[in-house]
Amino acid sequence: MNAEVTAIDSLSRRPLLLLLASGLAWLLLGGLLALIAAAQLIQPAFLADCSFLTYGRTTALAETAFVYGWLANAGLALGLWILARLGGEALRAQNWIVVGTLFWNAGITIALIGLATGDVTGFSLLNLPGYVQPLLLVAYGAIAVSGILAWGGRRRSMMYASQWYAVAALILFPWFLSVAGVMLFWSPARGVVQAVVAGWYSQCVWTLWLAPAALAVAYYVVPKVTGRTLRSYSFAALGFWTLLFMGPWTGGRHLIGGPVPAWIPTIAVVTGALLFFHYIIVALNLRDTFAAPGVSLRFIAFGLAAYLLGGVTDALTSFHGLSMVTRFTYVETAEQQLALYGAISMIFFGGLYYAVPRITGRAWAFGGLITGHLGFSALGVVGLVLALTVAGLVQGGGLLSTEVSFAEIGELTQPWLVAVLFAQIILLFGNILLSVNFLATLALSPKAEVAQFRAPVAMEVSAS
Amino acid sequence: MSTEPPSDPRLDQAASSDDSLLSSHEKLLGRQPDEKAKYRLTPIALLFAFSGLILFAGTYLNRYAGHYDSLIYNENASPGGATAAPMAVDMVALGKKQFQSVCITCHQATGLGQAGIYPPLAGSEWVNGPEERVIRIVLDGLKGTVHVAGKEYGAAAMPVFGQVAGSGYNWSDEKIAAVLTYVRQEWGNKGAPVTTDAVTKIHQATGDHKEWSEAELAAIK
Amino acid sequence: MKHGFYFLLGLVGALGLSWAGIVMGSNTQLASLPPYADDTDTSPPWFPGEAARGEYVYKDLGCSACHTQQVRRPDFGSDVARGWGDRQSVARDYIYQPFPQLGNNRVGPDLTNLAGRRPNPPDEEDLMKLLYEGHGGMPAYKFLFEQRKIIGQVSDHAIKPSGAAPIPAGYELVPSRRAQMLVAYLRNLNTTSDYPESRPIPAAGAESAGSAPKAKPAPAKAASGAAPAPAKKATP
Repeated sequence: MNAEVTAIDSLSRRPLLLLLASGLAWLLLGGLLALIAAAQLIQPAFLADCSFLTYGRTTALAETAFVYGWLANAGLALGLWILARLGGEALRAQNWIVVGTLFWNAGITIALIGLATGDVTGFSLLNLPGYVQPLLLVAYGAIAVSGILAWGGRRRSMMYASQWYAVAALILFPWFLSVAGVMLFWSPARGVVQAVVAGWYSQCVWTLWLAPAALAVAYYVVPKVTGRTLRSYSFAALGFWTLLFMGPWTGGRHLIGGPVPAWIPTIAVVTGALLFFHYIIVALNLRDTFAAPGVSLRFIAFGLAAYLLGGVTDALTSFHGLSMVTRFTYVETAEQQLALYGAISMIFFGGLYYAVPRITGRAWAFGGLITGHLGFSALGVVGLVLALTVAGLVQGGGLLSTEVSFAEIGELTQPWLVAVLFAQIILLFGNILLSVNFLATLALSPKAEVAQFRAPVAMEVSAS
Repeated sequence: MSTEPPSDPRLDQAASSDDSLLSSHEKLLGRQPDEKAKYRLTPIALLFAFSGLILFAGTYLNRYAGHYDSLIYNENASPGGATAAPMAVDMVALGKKQFQSVCITCHQATGLGQAGIYPPLAGSEWVNGPEERVIRIVLDGLKGTVHVAGKEYGAAAMPVFGQVAGSGYNWSDEKIAAVLTYVRQEWGNKGAPVTTDAVTKIHQATGDHKEWSEAELAAIK
Repeated sequence: MKHGFYFLLGLVGALGLSWAGIVMGSNTQLASLPPYADDTDTSPPWFPGEAARGEYVYKDLGCSACHTQQVRRPDFGSDVARGWGDRQSVARDYIYQPFPQLGNNRVGPDLTNLAGRRPNPPDEEDLMKLLYEGHGGMPAYKFLFEQRKIIGQVSDHAIKPSGAAPIPAGYELVPSRRAQMLVAYLRNLNTTSDYPESRPIPAAGAESAGSAPKAKPAPAKAASGAAPAPAKKATP
């Protein structure tokens, strides 16, 4: 029984499509909000009279919609799907997933309304008002239950890398969110300890949740499409544990030079360097992606390159010399966009293009829209990250000097911020293409072309 | 896979089944067939890379973690040196801050004071002269007319700054030494710095002295 | 990894270790930092009532998206040289703030010591005008103000904007409660107090504890790197 698409996919269709559809809706909303924020940087008077969309709130809104709306939903959908397929059973507890998704989306909606009316938390990547967190935790738990069941009930006792990463992402998120919720909202820690907890949380989001979710997708799709086992796979476990054990300690990265004792940023620098080991192993394992054909792998290759580049730049900008120029500038925004959009989101797009035909049983409706999305996304991400980096370096150079006023810095960064706006427009346009394609694929009548899947062959064990 | 049909972006084909994926990777982790004494480079390279990173990490941590002390904010604090003892104060910086918070209102930022009312500090023989006099002025205050550079000033009294009875400021000896150190090197003044110990000595010797007059001060040394 | 149990243990261990190390480690060190008492007063001071509420307004408008509230030490950028503070910010500066708004991006200047800026800190009128009109990259926060008919006497708090649109006769422009709280907060942001841990470490080889007077007129130097020379300051 080695068909590519089985009952596992057709029976799991409903909750997965719901998750993906909600994710895409948040992606579009997040893109629109990011557009508004980018416009406000160029022209502060834009929407300045609307208190719901003052710049401080718009950035919070855009980030929350993108991370907790799009990335969360997509990550959960792809993670559950992979766990179901590797576990060998259709998704269990599907009603829980559906209810969980609805409540998660309701929670994000409440969070966004809360942010727009003034409950901005001020913590990067944690702009979720306190009152919405319990709802999100419960909703997430409801969705994650299915994944844990799929993993626990797996047919083979061995665990493949995708399963490690997906289960880690499923299990760890509620834990560190609740810890942060307690220490920042319910029983707030005193003074700068809040900043330390917030820094730890944002690195947990990156290294314990989003990166594992993306790596689960990459580790699954790449060997499936190339037909060869991953290279140097025997080290994959080392890479996994290095990420988990070193990752959260990099939380102090956001506090370099800040009002915290020196050991916190120093540990962040050190563990950031140790994370190189993880990046080396991931590069070794997934290096076949770069040469392989297929649109999913193009997206994943881009995402992987962004992931590796991001790891290197994160470590480098933690050091004193570089951080003097890059700290408190748009370079940090660029790093975040490289990670969240360039790496995670692109890998999720790749996973999406691979998974949807299998989940729905139909090929995507328009091939042109797919290549269009690829082109626009790649162009948009490169443009966004480059423009923000240059703007940040200009800003940092101006900040370092005592003689450059903020008005001058504003003038110098202006052209680059306009480029950022264009990049956001391009990205949003690409995502509109994706959404149109997705809706068209779902709307196609059942008599339309059923996906013709090639019969799978045994996987080649590659010499690693 | 020899002849591959051009890939249709609308449908990425998978080459192998999930079961095959799992079983082949499981085989990889199992016991490998003997490679007949061929050494694989990757594990050695990774070993070196990891050892190198750990060496870097350990060295960096040792040097820059500031003893994990909660009061060390500068990672450059040398690992063997003094830890959380109060760091040396830059007397000029402290003195400048004190001056700009209080003294500047009367003696002005230029140190020129105001004619007839507030004596100048720039080029003043009182400021540049023996420290015993100027310490007493700041410590206990000055009342009555005073002559600086030939001109008379008398409209206002110098307040009491030290920790003596009737003081509205209660500055520590260190602060007084600091502000004097600052004043004695600013605006072209060439006076020597004043140490906290010197101020303490005079403070203890004079106790709760009321405001000095010019004549009393002139009598000192 | 065939054993699910050890796998889960590893997951919990990874999260727990980092939590114990960074979060609880720093919490143990910093959660009970006492205020610092020198000969004249204790610092940091508590915010008076209006100002304390102003911190909530600052947070909810998302001001930390563009403004930071942390001054770095002199050899780490130009924070001190630009006059944003006399010394670096330390943990003790924030112990009485319910939600320290450290900020991450400097589209606008750092605000740590706004009320202690020399020579002239901004007064209430300056700040109200700035909020109403905006300046450079800072948007105008007109929704924090109310234009209303003058009843009896002109209100004490009325502001006279210098911008393009004049107020019609018989009307006054009055800041809302939130604007007043915000401005009170901003006018209480100062770090003029000095803590032992915020002082720069002495240069290597000259480690003298206590108060050795230094005749060098330059602002405090740290062991590595030179302090940037504050030749002239542009308006921050």
